[in-house]
Amino acid sequence: MSQSTETAGVKRRDFLKVLGAATAATGTVGCFQEDIEKLVPYLNSPDQTVPGVSNYYSSTCRECSAGCGIVVEVRDGRAIKVEGNPEHPVNRGALCARGQASLQGLYNPDRYRTPMIREGGKLVPTTWDNAMQALNQQVAQARTNVKAREVAFVSRHEAGSFGAFADNWMEALGFGSHYQYDPEADLAVRAANQATYGAMSPALDFSAARLIVSFGADFLETWQANVPQQLAFADARAKLQNGPRFVYIGARRSLTGLNADEWIACKPGSEETIAAALASALGGGSTTTAQAAEASGVSVETLDALVTSVRDIRPSLVLSGVTTPNAAQIAATVAAINKAAGNVGVTIRLDGALTSFAGAVGADAMSRVATSLNAGGVPLIFVRGANPVYDTPKSMGFAEAFAKAGYRVSFSSYPDETSSLCDLVLPDSHPLESWGDAEPVAGVLGLQQPTMDVVFSTRATPDVMLAVAQANGATAKFPAKTYRDWLISRTSGGAAAFTAALPKAMAKGSALARTAASSRIASGTTPPAAIGGTGEYFLQVYPHAVLGAGAGANKPWLQELPDPVSKICWQSWVEIHPMTARKLGIERGDHVKVQTASGSITAPAYLYLGIRQDTVAVALGQGHTAYGRYAQDIGVNALDALGATWNGAGALALTQSMATVAKLNEYSELVTTEGSARQHGRELAQAVTTAQLAAGDYGERPHHELPGDASHEFLPGLRSPVAADAQGDLANPKAKDKGMYDPEHPSGMARRRWAMTIDLSRCTGCSACVTACYAENNVPTVGARWQGRSLRPFHSSDGSGWDTRPGANILKGREMAWIRIERYFEGGEDGTSAFDTRFLPMMCQHCGNAPCESVCPVYATYHAPDGLNVQVYNRCVGTRYCSNGCPYKVRYYNWHGYGETARRQYAFPDPLHLQLNPDVTVRGKGVMEKCSFCVQRIREAENLASLEKRDLAPNEFTTACAQACPSRAIVFGDAADPMWQVAQQVGDRRGYHVFEELNTYTAVVYLRKVNHTGGEGVPTAVPPPAATPATAGGPR
Amino acid sequence: MTSRRTWALVPGFLAIAVAAFALSAYSGASSSQGFAPEQPVKFPHPRHVQDLGMNCLYCHYSANESPDPGLPAVGTCMGCHTLIGPQRPALNGQPARTSVEIKKLQEYAPIGQPDKWKSIDWVRIHKLPEYVHFPHMRHVNAGVTCQTCHGPVQDMAQVYQYSSLNMGWCVNCHVDGYKLADGLRAAGVTPTAEQEAMPAKTARYDCAICHY
Repeated sequence: MSQSTETAGVKRRDFLKVLGAATAATGTVGCFQEDIEKLVPYLNSPDQTVPGVSNYYSSTCRECSAGCGIVVEVRDGRAIKVEGNPEHPVNRGALCARGQASLQGLYNPDRYRTPMIREGGKLVPTTWDNAMQALNQQVAQARTNVKAREVAFVSRHEAGSFGAFADNWMEALGFGSHYQYDPEADLAVRAANQATYGAMSPALDFSAARLIVSFGADFLETWQANVPQQLAFADARAKLQNGPRFVYIGARRSLTGLNADEWIACKPGSEETIAAALASALGGGSTTTAQAAEASGVSVETLDALVTSVRDIRPSLVLSGVTTPNAAQIAATVAAINKAAGNVGVTIRLDGALTSFAGAVGADAMSRVATSLNAGGVPLIFVRGANPVYDTPKSMGFAEAFAKAGYRVSFSSYPDETSSLCDLVLPDSHPLESWGDAEPVAGVLGLQQPTMDVVFSTRATPDVMLAVAQANGATAKFPAKTYRDWLISRTSGGAAAFTAALPKAMAKGSALARTAASSRIASGTTPPAAIGGTGEYFLQVYPHAVLGAGAGANKPWLQELPDPVSKICWQSWVEIHPMTARKLGIERGDHVKVQTASGSITAPAYLYLGIRQDTVAVALGQGHTAYGRYAQDIGVNALDALGATWNGAGALALTQSMATVAKLNEYSELVTTEGSARQHGRELAQAVTTAQLAAGDYGERPHHELPGDASHEFLPGLRSPVAADAQGDLANPKAKDKGMYDPEHPSGMARRRWAMTIDLSRCTGCSACVTACYAENNVPTVGARWQGRSLRPFHSSDGSGWDTRPGANILKGREMAWIRIERYFEGGEDGTSAFDTRFLPMMCQHCGNAPCESVCPVYATYHAPDGLNVQVYNRCVGTRYCSNGCPYKVRYYNWHGYGETARRQYAFPDPLHLQLNPDVTVRGKGVMEKCSFCVQRIREAENLASLEKRDLAPNEFTTACAQACPSRAIVFGDAADPMWQVAQQVGDRRGYHVFEELNTYTAVVYLRKVNHTGGEGVPTAVPPPAATPATAGGPR
Repeated sequence: MTSRRTWALVPGFLAIAVAAFALSAYSGASSSQGFAPEQPVKFPHPRHVQDLGMNCLYCHYSANESPDPGLPAVGTCMGCHTLIGPQRPALNGQPARTSVEIKKLQEYAPIGQPDKWKSIDWVRIHKLPEYVHFPHMRHVNAGVTCQTCHGPVQDMAQVYQYSSLNMGWCVNCHVDGYKLADGLRAAGVTPTAEQEAMPAKTARYDCAICHY
């Protein structure tokens, strides 16, 4: 610029120089060879594997105690997906979100990678030889200690032989008790069931019941075995006639409560009196409903109606799952009610009773361990999988007592609050890497087998224990070299029978039963403590629906999965009734301090209709201080406000005291994926009552003439056609070649119409489908503390340009979940307990007349001949017009390059990336993505069919969400082929499309939710459901 | 030329430069066609295929059953080369010689010492972007000969990328169709009259067939 004063402009020569350089640069870039890649072959090919083709291994899920069967998909030596085992008697192919997320335990980036030993006050990596030497030395020393019998082993409860194996191991070494601790176990119910029915966990036949009454039993989330319960419950609720009406009794409406037809909001602890009134009505006592009304704060009329129902409606199913100190008494009364009502053997089935939960103990056992440690001189303690420093109340002082042990050995796979206090860590292999067994149902032995080689330098703890036994002179009792050999030695038929059972991971047989005193549930003799303390509000603490008591918090899939009730993720919150909040001047997000005699917790307020006005509730699971990067500094631990109070069966009473609630002068935006909890009249999630159904009203809306109906009748099968402008040349009468959209085209693509039905009468909102989708489709998690880019650098706390609030991206609406569960409330605006909840799984609707397709300037989204709305990542330039056009808001934009290793926002830090599905592209920054109807599964099935020279068989495959769904609400398939189940369901009279009035012609048909009002007679004139699907485009 | 007119040229040239860049990205200019890297062991395909008559599937063993064609394990090489050592006798009129490459191979996989075996890190030649899913078995089982895409590998002393592997190249075949006779000729086989008469086989060319 400065030189060009003499001649204006650029000299020709200069310009050509610049142009030349630019061209050269362009050419260099264009011809640049991509990074040289290496192809590394095997040294020797493993047997029975084909590169690029998955192997499937059956095993047993260890994420909770239920012992569901799983099938693990392994591709080229890496486990990439966990699904339910369809042949397993417990979960019949379904799997919950926690089970799906076991892969993120296996590949957790924070796992211990080697043994660790404490040196100079710090845990430092060491070798297995050193660690084993240290362990053997400590064991040998402890055996000679006078307090050898005080040496305890605390492990997380798991169904199967390990409990008895460890009992015997401790006994053989001359040590003390082995406790299988389960902080979530409902011991009160198990004790009462055992006493009354003779089975700890009878199978619950919801379908046989006409009335379900649950006293706080959250059987769809954390109570007992949620998957089989959900399967049975959904079957019952899908009955259009004579299905069970469901009444939920409790101070807080949990996810299970939201699925109830009626919620009776009683004071915590008053369930005892209500149950007594029910028992009296059945001839077992003299408690009146007036007394119950007095104690519970519920109207006499409501309780009278309840008593009448329980007395008159048979068969019924009454469940108890309360967490107050008097839980054992309530459980006993409830068991008596079932017995008196004749439910045992009908809805409470002793055949098929679950045996998984035997041997679990509660927090009182941890308190006994703490007492023993506090006495001093205990030379050694072992911990495996359990985390009592975190999941017992601080006021119990477990951490302080733990510090007094002479030497602390952990077998934990992950750094957690307990293992980080230990002197020696011998990391256990993950259940997907090791052997084991479980006995979920009497006589059925579920096997757990390694699905892949170990990710890190870990060893299965039972193998380590065998080595220790052999080094310490207990070889006679433990001759087996490995736990696998030990399991085989217990199998009738030996190695051959064991190997033969592995393909299905099920054998006839029993796990080694525990006889040790430390495996028995305490029986309550002392009268329970009353709910005491000062304050106006009951504090109800409950296990988080997906994080449980905290074990799930280090898995980003579970952190990112919104709580099914509050839709909040990456955060703790205090549930408080809107009326109470108004009284206290609290608004959504205001920080609230909940103070009890034992301590206090502070978290933002979430105003929730489903809680009593005199109660506040906080979920467990967050507030970790040493549980890996994903759990660190997220939320609060609700146990901080609880004291050491047990119920009669020895489990921690989670609802134990009154609290004061104070508003603080701070505010946090709630990390939620929810736009509004109300439908604002848009009828997204529709419902009908059984009374309506009985009268022949399926909730169908009058069909009005829609403007702009597609001119071309496309395919039969769905009620909606594909718009002419999405059909390319097929809709052009002048075109000679009609292309692949022509049903006669040899490719045959247009003869299929991929579609989905979602039965809202089955959907419980559990969100297992969401996690299954994350696992299948490489969906990145975006809510970790380091992933949030601040658009306003001066607003980030350190001026760095990073927004380090947990869930910062989600606060900006940048979550990536391809499927989400929308949750809407109907009614209850006046603060009453009578409101209805609708759950609506929402994913790309694969519209036949898609608003997104017509606005894409680069043709990156279009309608495929087989009915898919396709997103082509490599065409997408990221204009986001499609997302603006989408009325369902199911398109998600990659703001930050979550798939790029070099970025701070990288969502799959080593080795989480080993889980990525090789069949699905990992999307880059600036690309739009959305539900693809699992197109990779469609292609895989087509490829397989082509290999086998056959057509696709009806229902031979399904999407990840439908596969996981524990309530079987989602059905996927070819709506153009009447042999597929989906084709039979799209014509259901309960069916509707969301936003039908927008003329989008979606490929997803929702079947209206059914509310069981009860009292409906046998319907006289119910017209049969449409036998054949409605013709496309025609009036319905 | 006035300075005003000189300036007027700038946007025009810029547009040309941008267009050239964009075109180069979309055209064959960005293909690695012809890429012929030197491999750690100079595996002579002609010797194995032409002289010994080995089938492609002997080593690329999953090409007909998996999306992944399969790469021979070192053990596969050593299946023969444990016996066929570097000292090659006089054969077919060629004098006796020492094979440097077999020697190299046996250094990777010392005989009788399986714990000392090392993998041979072959340089990858054919690479599709990660957003493309190419199922080998669909093509192989449809009768597409290997040489149709990979060229006359049986004649390549050093393997090179024969086709551009660009999307246009894929789509042309999917739309226009594959003639078995052409494929056989590419493989060095003379088609029969019956094979000559077979019609071209077309395939689906919808984006989501490969991109997902």
